[in-house]
Amino acid sequence: MSTSLSAQDSQASTIRTTFSRSTSVSTRIQADPAIVWALLTNAGDYARWNSTVLSIEGDIAPGEKIRLRSTLDPKRTFKLKVKTFEPEKLLVWGDGMGKRTYSLQTLDEGNVLFSMTEKIGGPLFPLFAKMIPPFDASFDQFAADLKKEAELIQRK
Amino acid sequence: MSEQFTTEFEHIRPQLRAYILRMTASVADTEDIVQDTWIKASQNIGAFQGHSSLKTWLFAIASNLAKDQLRRKKRWTEDCTDICRQEALGNRAFFEEAMHIRQHSPQGHFEIKEHIAFCFTCIAKSLPLEQQLALLLKEVYGFKIKEIAEIMATSEAMTKYHLHTGRSKMIDIFERRCALINKEGVCHQCTELNGIFNPKQNAQVELVKIDMAREAGNKDKEALFDLRMQIVQHIDPFDSDAAALQLHHLEHNRTVMEAYLRNNPSAPEETV
Repeated sequence: MSTSLSAQDSQASTIRTTFSRSTSVSTRIQADPAIVWALLTNAGDYARWNSTVLSIEGDIAPGEKIRLRSTLDPKRTFKLKVKTFEPEKLLVWGDGMGKRTYSLQTLDEGNVLFSMTEKIGGPLFPLFAKMIPPFDASFDQFAADLKKEAELIQRK
Repeated sequence: MSEQFTTEFEHIRPQLRAYILRMTASVADTEDIVQDTWIKASQNIGAFQGHSSLKTWLFAIASNLAKDQLRRKKRWTEDCTDICRQEALGNRAFFEEAMHIRQHSPQGHFEIKEHIAFCFTCIAKSLPLEQQLALLLKEVYGFKIKEIAEIMATSEAMTKYHLHTGRSKMIDIFERRCALINKEGVCHQCTELNGIFNPKQNAQVELVKIDMAREAGNKDKEALFDLRMQIVQHIDPFDSDAAALQLHHLEHNRTVMEAYLRNNPSAPEETV
């Protein structure tokens, strides 16, 4: 299996404006979307396979609140609400400052395109923009970890 | 109902009993569920199409009955053996009963490998139920992924997910906790109990007889878990030389954990 970037893979990239910042990544995963979705929605299991997440408490389910700790800012606990939950398609969580969107798109047989975007912003964004670390490396790692784990499970 | 069905059910019954016991940790519940499986299978044998094996079909019925019963019960915690050990230390009657079984029951022997299988049953109850089922069905009873998907009424993809996740968690727990494979491991109950029930034995000599303990420094964690599973596969908790002693121990742990979970509302509930 090739590990190079295909046309549908992309390294993380960030678009900045005065009042917002948006980071995106996508990767093609050779696994059943049910497996990818299960990995994305099992809160208690994240830290086992995802090296960018320290912990997620709560249920990743429609309308639920979760508490996320990330390696990007280990001392901070993000309190987030699950805003959209469409099994095997779309997951969105966020707070007043921003939102994280995960989407799955079924490709040819046995493949799924995973995309992740985080958009943060608002009128006060310029005041704290410099305090927020870049997400690109973390996003690349998240996508690589998800791909590795999902494909490992698929091959079982 | 055909005589052939009755014969085949009786052939499968020991595995079914052991499987349900490993899910419920309760002898009484196990006997009820196995009996209910017999009744339900007898009533529906006419509808059995033979698309799967009879064994797969019976395990599916039994799994559903067990899941119905376990649905509202909280899962155990991964430190359940510590919690139960602490309770046992303050319970003189428990040790007196155990010693009586040890001395008088033909199934009252204590062997370290029997306790390793017992320990697996307890720790596996800390997994989400679907993961525990997938793990038992694959690693202990040798079902194929397709058969497990049929038993659990789920897709093969989700079966793989439950199996992989459950196995990974168990490997992680044993790697951190089990002193047989990790010198820093906090749990050494099997050798501790061996000292109580077999005071004349040298635990180190006994451990050399167990592949998993002997190979601890040579094999990786996946291989050590496979060796642990080989021990579990070869022990029938109802029919081993240590069955009476281990079932008494299991009843104690179940009682302790149910009380512990009642008093600790933060423990996770099952979500099947």
